[in-house]
Amino acid sequence: MSSPAVQFVHVSKRFRLGETHDSLGDLLAAGVRRLRGRRGSTEDASTLWAVRDVSFAAEAGEALGIIGPNGAGKSTVLRLLAGILRADEGEVRTHGRLSALIEVGAGFHGDLTGRENIFLNGAILGMRRAEIRGKLDAVVAFAGLERFLDTPVKRYSSGMYARLGFSIAAHVDPEVLLVDEVLSVGDAAFRLRCVERMRELVQTGTTLVFVTHNLDQMQSICRRAVVLEAGRVSFAGEARVAVGTYLKAMSRAFALRPTDLPVNARGGGSGVEFVNLRLLNADDDEVAFLRSGESLRARVRLHAHRPIRRLVLELNLRATPEENLLSFNSGRDARFFEVVPGLHEFTLTIAGIPLSGGQYFWNLRVWDADGGTTELDTPACAPMVIDDQGRATGALTLDHQWERTSPSHAAPHGAETAAAALVAPDGG
Amino acid sequence: MLRAEYRAGALPELAQYGQLLWSLAARDIRVRYKQSLLGVTWAVLLPLSMMLIFTFVFTRAVRATGLATDLPYALYAYSGLVPWTFFSMALTGCVNSLVANRNLVTKVYFPREVFPLACVGSALVDFAIALAVLVGLMAYFAAAGAWTFRPHAALALLPFLILVQMALTTGLGMLLAMANLFYRDVRQVVTVGLQLLLFVSGVVVPIPADGSLAARLLGLNPLVPLLAAYRDCLLYGRWPEGTGLLYATVLSLAVLLGGWAWFRRAAFKFAECI
Repeated sequence: MSSPAVQFVHVSKRFRLGETHDSLGDLLAAGVRRLRGRRGSTEDASTLWAVRDVSFAAEAGEALGIIGPNGAGKSTVLRLLAGILRADEGEVRTHGRLSALIEVGAGFHGDLTGRENIFLNGAILGMRRAEIRGKLDAVVAFAGLERFLDTPVKRYSSGMYARLGFSIAAHVDPEVLLVDEVLSVGDAAFRLRCVERMRELVQTGTTLVFVTHNLDQMQSICRRAVVLEAGRVSFAGEARVAVGTYLKAMSRAFALRPTDLPVNARGGGSGVEFVNLRLLNADDDEVAFLRSGESLRARVRLHAHRPIRRLVLELNLRATPEENLLSFNSGRDARFFEVVPGLHEFTLTIAGIPLSGGQYFWNLRVWDADGGTTELDTPACAPMVIDDQGRATGALTLDHQWERTSPSHAAPHGAETAAAALVAPDGG
Repeated sequence: MLRAEYRAGALPELAQYGQLLWSLAARDIRVRYKQSLLGVTWAVLLPLSMMLIFTFVFTRAVRATGLATDLPYALYAYSGLVPWTFFSMALTGCVNSLVANRNLVTKVYFPREVFPLACVGSALVDFAIALAVLVGLMAYFAAAGAWTFRPHAALALLPFLILVQMALTTGLGMLLAMANLFYRDVRQVVTVGLQLLLFVSGVVVPIPADGSLAARLLGLNPLVPLLAAYRDCLLYGRWPEGTGLLYATVLSLAVLLGGWAWFRRAAFKFAECI
């Protein structure tokens, strides 16, 4: 096929905020207001352009990722593609039987059994009864719900519910499949099967449009990706480059304002004043969003009011505002800094930050090693978010790899071992 | 199958979704009688108990109004309640159909007409069961000698009457489903409206046939000639009065076409306004 299976041509979609009437009373009130000539809000203030002048295309059989921060318009794009929303400007073109998985199990009815819901949901997704009957076993096996087929789905766990929902959609055999962030459900094994199934569909010629926050999953399926930022396309092209663009966008979204600490941030001493604490990546860009294993610099600025011969800095990494997870103390590293009155800057470099995904904070303490006084002890500040692509559980993830260290053929039972070569990060 | 090119035409697209329509109607029926001891028996019990209540309460009251009917009252009431229950049940379902399926409206694309149509479809099943009970009731009254069955060619009109009623119900249902999506007040208005209609449509209280202004005004309600036509075919064994039936038919078709056209024009707004 030469024409794209899915195409957006300068598409814009506007949502009205505020003036939506939910009851006749509201309508009458709004009407009276309008009659009196008092317009509640202007067009501009009440209009949100969820998608603005977006153009992209996916060729038949291509897998296209759509990534971007929350509120960037990803889901709106998908719903425009599915025909659920109509574009205000521009044109949305799709060719071929299309199936949209925007929410797993949308349309499930709790009182119906798994089997009844498979038929209902299949019909909702555009399958014929005979077709569903033919695929019933495959759907049930994929979801792993053989035993619960005749149980009402209201008794299902949320994981079972999601598995059944994805399984049905994955067996529609559409020409175009739209998937919106549904793989965050279910356990790791099921997520892996979902990714495999999507890859399988793409290999057999299905066009896939995949909206996700999971960058690794996206990269493993899609060759190309579109990055959306505030309703506009900020990048379209190779998936790997798109991920870089997206991470930069995320850092901007989390951007720190010049840290102004409350008064109680000052320690007992009066010799040192906190100016700011900034987190920088390898390119010296200020960041608050990092991928696990990236290098990080914490740059501290202090204003000294008196000369201190041996200043000790301690940066504490915290997973909660109160509790230290890792501590970096210049004194223990035998680094003491001599300062004269004035502005000083110190940088802690961590070669590969070994944290698992989540939010972290920093705490800064400063001592005068000679006088023994605590000069500064800030509350938790400089929040940062680590993205580890869902790989690690627990607090840390260390650089590691798996390999087979016995011959791959004829390994005797029980003798197979896998060695994890743990390499400690060299920074700190 | 969802193909972009099908979105252009209403009927071909709807035909593609015929299976979905029946799946949704079947879901409504299944869900209505799930976790209930009597199950589908309720389709019979509801109009039957209504008939008993009205027979008990109204036999005297109706006689007092002088609006007599030459039919046994129970038969009169039940023959009105069967199509009425179909009408009110379908409409009540339709009003809520889009809002109750918010999840589907905002997450899946298919023609939104499917929702009110499925409500009419699921009410039709109950209607068929209640109609079978009417036949049993007719046999009972005939055997008891309270009423005589007169077979007449007009019986062949029955499917046509059902179609006219479905057209009226579907058209109204689409309008109300859409209206309720934008303004939730509609549901309340429909509840009150149906209560009122029950008493002015010749369901359980006969309509005066004296040609007075009140009688002519009441006759504007298309349900009046429609219900009269049901009774003419089934109970009286005669042709229905032509003008009234023609009026009901034309009006029902107009409501269906108008309602459907409006529904289609507004459908693209449903997902964001719901």
